[in-house]
Amino acid sequence: MHSTLPRNTLLAAALSLPLLSAQAEAQPENGTLSLKYLDYQDSQPGARRVRVTAPELSLMTPVGSAWSLSASHIVDSITGASPAYHTEALVPLHDQRRATDLSVTHYSELSTATIGASYSAESDYVSRGLNLAATLSTEDKNTSWNLGVNLLHDSINPGNQVVIDEHKNVVDLSLGLTQVLSSRDLAQVLLGYSHGKGYFTDPYKIFDQRPRTRNHSTLLLRWNHHIEASGGTSRLAYRYYQDSFAIRAHTLTAEYVQPLPQGWSLTPQLRLYSQSAASFYVEHDLNSDPFPTNPPDGASFYTEEQRLAAYGARTMGITLSKRWGAWSADLRAQHYEQRNQWRWGGSGSRNLAPFRARIVQLALTRQF
Amino acid sequence: MKRFCKLACALGAALLLNACASITPVQPWQKGLLAKPEMSFAGDAIGSGFNEHIYSSREAASGGSGANGGGCGCY
Amino acid sequence: MEVFRIPFSAMASQCEVVLAAPDLASARALAGAASAEVLRIEHKYSRYRADSMVSRINAAAGAAAVVCDEETLALLQYADELYRSSDGLFDLSSGVLRRVWDFRLGRLPDPAALAECLNAIGWSRVQREADRIALPQAGMQLDFGGFGKEYAADRAADILRQQGLQHGYVNLAGDIRVLGPHPAGRPWQIGIQDPRQRDRLVASIPVTHGALTTSGDYERYFERDGQRYCHILDPRDGQPVRYWRSVTVLAPLAIVAGGVSTIAMLKQQAGLDYLEASGYSYLAIDQQGQIQHKICHA
Repeated sequence: MHSTLPRNTLLAAALSLPLLSAQAEAQPENGTLSLKYLDYQDSQPGARRVRVTAPELSLMTPVGSAWSLSASHIVDSITGASPAYHTEALVPLHDQRRATDLSVTHYSELSTATIGASYSAESDYVSRGLNLAATLSTEDKNTSWNLGVNLLHDSINPGNQVVIDEHKNVVDLSLGLTQVLSSRDLAQVLLGYSHGKGYFTDPYKIFDQRPRTRNHSTLLLRWNHHIEASGGTSRLAYRYYQDSFAIRAHTLTAEYVQPLPQGWSLTPQLRLYSQSAASFYVEHDLNSDPFPTNPPDGASFYTEEQRLAAYGARTMGITLSKRWGAWSADLRAQHYEQRNQWRWGGSGSRNLAPFRARIVQLALTRQF
Repeated sequence: MKRFCKLACALGAALLLNACASITPVQPWQKGLLAKPEMSFAGDAIGSGFNEHIYSSREAASGGSGANGGGCGCY
Repeated sequence: MEVFRIPFSAMASQCEVVLAAPDLASARALAGAASAEVLRIEHKYSRYRADSMVSRINAAAGAAAVVCDEETLALLQYADELYRSSDGLFDLSSGVLRRVWDFRLGRLPDPAALAECLNAIGWSRVQREADRIALPQAGMQLDFGGFGKEYAADRAADILRQQGLQHGYVNLAGDIRVLGPHPAGRPWQIGIQDPRQRDRLVASIPVTHGALTTSGDYERYFERDGQRYCHILDPRDGQPVRYWRSVTVLAPLAIVAGGVSTIAMLKQQAGLDYLEASGYSYLAIDQQGQIQHKICHA
């Protein structure tokens, strides 16, 4: 269900009367301007790794009677160090990424259509994207289908010039169904398929050679439930992921939004993640140290990227929000950790240092 | 074969969802609670933008929520 | 498809249903269902019937809580929202002022009686629970007159919609809820009465859907020494409002349009800001006869 908050508090209150609601104006009633900030620091025992600070400005405004426009701009400043293989040999890095997203949506009685473009640029990577999406609801608005297509064309020019002017093209498709189950329950099923061709290798890793195709499919199930007794809302989600690198991953997310007096609200959250390793992942052999582990003889594909290893991860976080008048402020603090032993249904990759990140996010929003 | 199974499961889940709801359709005047921002999948003002970006650059899995946007060279 | 106009009497006023139907018989049947719903609501929330929901609640004032059905509870919840939206000016318990103001005989209230009446007003003191309501003080009264007609217009329109009606409107003494435009596609032209000349219109508004309601100082009033005293009373001092001659609002539901137009009248000078903030189209006429209006596209 696209979120359509009624224009007026009286109209919102009138929704609870035994009346068929008036032709619901799907177009958002208010515009919003948001300033967000991310402060991210990851680390492994004994070493800090990547630090990212990223302010982001985003705007959403209704236009005319049936349109809305969204725009956002983000500046990521990245510093720190990243491993050259497995979790060893940290190499310093320093970069800045700027990205802009624009989209336009048209609203009708039972459907919406969106077109958007994105552009992201950093010293070694430029990504251009085009996005099309549509939603279609039934007459009673209890069921709604959504369809999305995302096209990406990326240009890769790594600073170490291991390759020059490489490309990656991705087509993402998604199909979803959102269903109102009761006056307090909303659920969603989303299917995704992605087909990517081009350069997937990490040019900064010592031993890394990945296939030139990467396809993945995802299945996402979400359920939001309002709890009468506390006035809170539980938000649960499960995602299954599998790709052509032979990686299978499970993600389980649980959040609970508890409104508090005076416009405050508190949302604790827990996210559990587990993935299997890529078929061409090379385990860290301690006997090779201090040199990187050699890939198997004759292997056409190999990687020592921690990201493609087998491990489990856990995020624990909490968000504090305050609303007053046309303003709202949100603060979210999260602790993220990856550990090989936490992998479900199998053994994790060996000899990788546990990875941790602390994530702080801020948002200040004004409605107009 | 495995992909077909997954597709069939997803479609089955979708149809089951649809079928459950047709038993007692929710009337428009009962949707007051559903209009609350925390009941939408978009969530709060911070949203999932930063988090999705972080997870897709630190983990192998990505996507799923239909959210779009540019890629990045988050090595 | 022909357009029929079927009048009926309800809520102490002239009402009508205008609709497109294949023939008079089906038009009458549809209008009959709509008017039956209007009468149901009138009887359920009438102050004048001892067995009505409102009378039962009022009779138990100062004594006990009264368990209410879902429809009544929803309306009481909405009344609470009106109270908050108007900063306490729209008060469902202000109907007691009727006892001291006599608009038929044109009599000003006795100051002592008015003061005593004001003590019996206070929506914030009303005790509401999940399934019941209690008026804490004997003599307190609820009066649904402030939104009863608008609610009935919306319910009658729903009945017609459920019967498949696409073109037409329900008009309850000037509170109008439109289902859909004329069968030929053109909007209905709805006239806004001149607050000082009964047979003259100040404007004609084209409406294809939604509701149009008007609150004015000319519906029930008397004049004394060149001063007009109308039936819309400020619950804080029991005095009639003076700033606007009439306020007309166009909103998706009659109960919302009616809430906004009545609150704008009650807010007097601050009413214009309130109308602006509501985001709805409005037409407001002040005491000098000046018209302020705004058309919002929706």
